[in-house]
Amino acid sequence: MLEGKKITKRFGGLTALSDVDFEVRRSEIVGLIGPNGSGKTTLFNVISGIYAPDGGDLFFENQKITNLLPYKRARMGIGRTFQIVRPLTGLNLIENVATGVLYGRQKKIGSREARERALEILSFTGLSDRARKLPSELILEDRKRLEIARALALHPEILLLDEVFAGLNPTEISSAIELTFRIREKYGTTIFMIEHVMKAIMNTCSRIIVLNFGIKLTEGSPDEVANNPEVISAYLGAAYAKC
Amino acid sequence: MINKLYPAAMAILAVLLAAFPCIGPEVYYLSFLFSIFMYVILASSWNFIGGYAGYISFGHAAFFGIGAFATAKMATMLELPPLLTMLAAIPAGGIAALVALIVGYPCLKIRGPYFSVVTLCFAFVVDLAVKNIEFLGGAEGLWIKFMDIPEKTSRTIMYELMFLLMVITLAASWFLGRSRFGAGLTAIRSDEEVAETMAIPTAKLKIQAFVLSAFFPGVAGGLFAYYLGYIHTDAVFNINISILIVLMAMFGGGGTWLGPIIGAVILTVVNEGLSTFAQAEIARIIYGALFIVVTIFMPNGIIDFFRKKDGMT
Repeated sequence: MLEGKKITKRFGGLTALSDVDFEVRRSEIVGLIGPNGSGKTTLFNVISGIYAPDGGDLFFENQKITNLLPYKRARMGIGRTFQIVRPLTGLNLIENVATGVLYGRQKKIGSREARERALEILSFTGLSDRARKLPSELILEDRKRLEIARALALHPEILLLDEVFAGLNPTEISSAIELTFRIREKYGTTIFMIEHVMKAIMNTCSRIIVLNFGIKLTEGSPDEVANNPEVISAYLGAAYAKC
Repeated sequence: MINKLYPAAMAILAVLLAAFPCIGPEVYYLSFLFSIFMYVILASSWNFIGGYAGYISFGHAAFFGIGAFATAKMATMLELPPLLTMLAAIPAGGIAALVALIVGYPCLKIRGPYFSVVTLCFAFVVDLAVKNIEFLGGAEGLWIKFMDIPEKTSRTIMYELMFLLMVITLAASWFLGRSRFGAGLTAIRSDEEVAETMAIPTAKLKIQAFVLSAFFPGVAGGLFAYYLGYIHTDAVFNINISILIVLMAMFGGGGTWLGPIIGAVILTVVNEGLSTFAQAEIARIIYGALFIVVTIFMPNGIIDFFRKKDGMT
């Protein structure tokens, strides 16, 4: 459903992405991994339209979206979260999510119904008892859940999760993994996620794409990727790849 | 309880204000309330773009002035009878809105302080243009024919018209605050990039808010031109008006319905009080000190300060 062909993005002299091909199929959970600075978030920014690529084309449901504005892509069904959480400050959780519902892809509804829908989504993501708090009053785990809740308000076809597991403790990671599966089950959303936490990626993804220095290194099942010498070399250095 | 009383109290207040001229007050009070209404309109409509969307426009007096000059020009060119002149304020508001559309399209692509600087420059450019173009009145200004009726009657008519415009502006502001449109603007203020990823068409909403926020000051400017009878660029394009509008809205609390109203009322009253009871130099010092105190202790405006005190967030 989402396909990138030869995506290239340069920042001045630095090539952040070079000829990256990828594809995400409906109902998949696909992981995107790579060492720091390998271009993962840049790829997400290109997909959601925050950056325009310098080369290559993007297709969503077989339609070319390379030159569409971000809000149009969101309207087509591409939702995302941000690595560094970016809630709408000054608005409580209901208002944060209700704003998303009001502009979301489901049929037009009034403010009251939007708030009800927002509460449903908040309880789905486990935030219903904090619904009237401000984002600044939440702990990190809950802020990450809020990012997901706000993205779900759009009712996306595909959800781009940018490191929602980072900084969480093992218990929190387990419940976040569980949430990831529940999203796909309840909303039928396809998931494309950037992740460093190996436990999360190994347990959730059916396929993993590996980036290194802006180049696609390999892709395959979690096991294949974990045992690929090139991947080990990229993460730990060439010496470890041999043993 | 409070929620039910609130609209009722507002309605009673509105009726009382509308009926105020019936008790035959002195012209001074009518004029005083007239200027309060005018500033409430200016601050509340500035709030659409500056408060909700967070795009601080420092050139809003330009729209006020455009409305005033457009009205005066229409009145003199078409030799309109006085009553029609007042109606000319409405298309004048439309002209202000049209200018906002043209100016807003490039300007609203610029964010933060840069937007403020550009709008400030825009106000200067309009001022200079009007001053130097003979067709628009030039440096001499424009005269409008007065109605051939006693001063008190004409003041009463102006009072009621400005009051009506204020009610309409505040109604628009009220609905905006509770609408999908308002929610979208608030999201833009908070984080424009995130708003885009929530499928909010940010460019479109900003321009709509900017146009709307120019229309009401335009109409108010038209009424003001008629009220003065003679307009000159210094009277309507004054940079102090632009700054005052921003201060009033921020002082009361930007992005809320009540904030700009409170800010406009308090600052107009304080201004008037100081100019009556204090020397000009001392008045300025007191005025400045007031702002420093409010900025330090109530950075988000008076409304926010009292809400926090009540434990409501």
